[in-house]
Amino acid sequence: MTELRFHRELYSGEAIDEAVKTWSNFAEFSLSETPEHWVVEVTPKHEAAARQIIGEFGNYVLGLTVDRGGAEAS
Amino acid sequence: MSTDNQTSFSDIPEAVASVSATDRSVSINLDAEVYPLQAVYGAAYIFLDRCFVFIDRPAEGSYRVTLSAKQAVEESEALRALVGEFANELLSCAWRHQITQDNRVAIETVTVQAIAGAMGEPSLDDLADFDFTDEALDDPLGIAQSWEEKHGRKSPGEDKAEGDAATSEEASA
Amino acid sequence: MNPINLAKIKPRPGSQAFFRWRQIDDDVVLITNLEGNWLLLSRDEFTSFARGEVEPGSELHTRLDDKNFLRATYDIQAASERVKARKHFVHNGPLLHVMVVTLRCNETCVYCHASRANMDAVETDMSAETARKAVDIALASTNGFVTIEFQGGEPLVNFPIVKEIIEYATERNKEIGKRLEFTMVSNFALLDEDKLEYLLANKVQMCTSIDGPEELHNAQRKLPQTHNAFQAAAKWIKRVNEAYGEMGLETNLYHVEALLTTTKATLDKWKEVVDTYVGLGCKTIFLRPVDPFGFAERARLRLEYPRSKYLEFYRNAVDYMIELNREGVEILERYAAIFLTKILRGEDPNFLDNRNPAGAGIGQIAYSYDGNVYTCDEGRMLAATQDDTFLLGTVDDGYRKLVGHETVRAMTIATNLDQQPDCVNCAYQPYCGTNAAYNYKAQGSIFGRMRDNNVCAVHKGIQDYLFEKLAAAKDDPELLEIFERWTTIRPRDHFVQDPNAETAAGEGTVETVDASEEPAEA
Repeated sequence: MTELRFHRELYSGEAIDEAVKTWSNFAEFSLSETPEHWVVEVTPKHEAAARQIIGEFGNYVLGLTVDRGGAEAS
Repeated sequence: MSTDNQTSFSDIPEAVASVSATDRSVSINLDAEVYPLQAVYGAAYIFLDRCFVFIDRPAEGSYRVTLSAKQAVEESEALRALVGEFANELLSCAWRHQITQDNRVAIETVTVQAIAGAMGEPSLDDLADFDFTDEALDDPLGIAQSWEEKHGRKSPGEDKAEGDAATSEEASA
Repeated sequence: MNPINLAKIKPRPGSQAFFRWRQIDDDVVLITNLEGNWLLLSRDEFTSFARGEVEPGSELHTRLDDKNFLRATYDIQAASERVKARKHFVHNGPLLHVMVVTLRCNETCVYCHASRANMDAVETDMSAETARKAVDIALASTNGFVTIEFQGGEPLVNFPIVKEIIEYATERNKEIGKRLEFTMVSNFALLDEDKLEYLLANKVQMCTSIDGPEELHNAQRKLPQTHNAFQAAAKWIKRVNEAYGEMGLETNLYHVEALLTTTKATLDKWKEVVDTYVGLGCKTIFLRPVDPFGFAERARLRLEYPRSKYLEFYRNAVDYMIELNREGVEILERYAAIFLTKILRGEDPNFLDNRNPAGAGIGQIAYSYDGNVYTCDEGRMLAATQDDTFLLGTVDDGYRKLVGHETVRAMTIATNLDQQPDCVNCAYQPYCGTNAAYNYKAQGSIFGRMRDNNVCAVHKGIQDYLFEKLAAAKDDPELLEIFERWTTIRPRDHFVQDPNAETAAGEGTVETVDASEEPAEA
């Protein structure tokens, strides 16, 4: 399991939700939050591709955030 | 991303860029005063095809961008090149952000004329499909504003209403 | 070059109207202004100008005033007229409509970026239905001038559709009334007398590729059946030129033009390339560098070269062409002609890849064999690598929907040099342009980064060369005359389709019968 902490001012919560749905075939996800971060625990389903799954998931979230014009206003 | 085993490049201050020896990623610290967030997004986006990109906010007033090359790179030269390319792209994005703001009217004018010139006038069918309830375009020059809205002066209707109210107040005083 | 030191000059703003500057040589500084006027100053003159110490009434003052470089006498009306002239194309929609009638090709070129297919890949032929829909969109353009350009693969491979497009477009244009032209880019290897007769009768402008002397051309463009690609092209260039003469057309004006793609192997052969073109009767050479699309990318290591090497080749070739011009040989370089038209005439020749904003979507559209419609041909080539970034829709979508696509808007903004770092400070900004599809392919975004962009390096390099020459032309009026000749665009009205003429029938054309002409019964 890897914990990814996405800063609320930099990443969109909705983007994370959408990314989790899209990547559910490749990893298990557990979501929580802190005042500053969206926290996503990622457990890849394929050990050999773990780095790739985690990295591409992170990229996907960033991409969706940029497509939306940035993180939502707090 | 781990911050253990950080090393640096000989020609870049460690405060600006550092290398993580464990997972061969580079982290670049950015002054948020110098680089607007839109520029950080712009530069980061361009690296999505060859790096895993992560952005964080270690402290108020700064960003940290971590780049991990997708293809395994062992040599520090390759990581150094990533930092350099990212920094160049970031500078380009930051400068463009400023230029676009400064020249917004000129850019919009040419774009509108070019697109309008290419599209031509709408047909009756196009107008029938158009959603007139949609929000109006931005109005950066305030052309759609009335003089009163722009300069804070009341419209004749408001003036009269206030005049009537003042008269009735005086009358009742 | 001994660089200008601004700190030593200590410039003082206030007397100058907006300008940009670039050092061309030790004692030559170029200044350009907002509307694209230019002057070449000596170091001392530039220093006086920068310090605001130009004597009123002096010769320098007069030169600066005449060209609108002085704030006190800045003529806004004149400036806006010149800007308007340079941007005249903005109000008109797509002029060029590239129709990729097939991907099949009988040659295999090492640098090909047309994503060719083998000769049995008939599924890559454009259908008649798609062709007609593409023509409908082209003729819906807001531009009164429409040029349909046949590309491929090799367009002659799908000649029936070439004919379908010509005949359908000509027929529809009778009611629409565009100034309609057809051009074809072909390797000529599949031409025969029947096809030629049809193409000449229907006024299709013919254009081919010649990569230089025979050995080089054949090494880079392979015909699979051991035919000689160079000989095939040369034979038909000669034949078409003869035919124009037989038709009574002025052969100085009407002749086949050829395109060059400069690869690593070409770089040392600048003299042979020019001599080959002149020997074939060509009056124009377009010294195009290789670009990163299609095959060219895969063969990049073998074909690519630093842009400094290309510029060295360019200078050698054009120097040689200038010398030939002095000897009375009519040959010009197209890149130079495009820039010189903007520099010397204050006009824009509307070359879509070197325009501000560029022509993608607003000046040209590309129609793929499968009915997909793209902002430009490079966009179509990218789609062959599974990247649909520049796809606008299909031929079933209406013209306004295609041209109003947000991708067109994005590319129009991205190629506007008023938002481009580097360009905003570059003296060549009034004459230059960038290519969004190239920027995307080479640098990851449609904006690109000019400082390490190869197209920018080429444009700057060519303009540096031209302004060096213009500085030398002060003592060499013949050189200026040569450059002015290069900018003279004589219209080739023969190629404009007459909307009232019947399509000239070639083999296999179905004639329609007008019932009113049936003979009365006896």
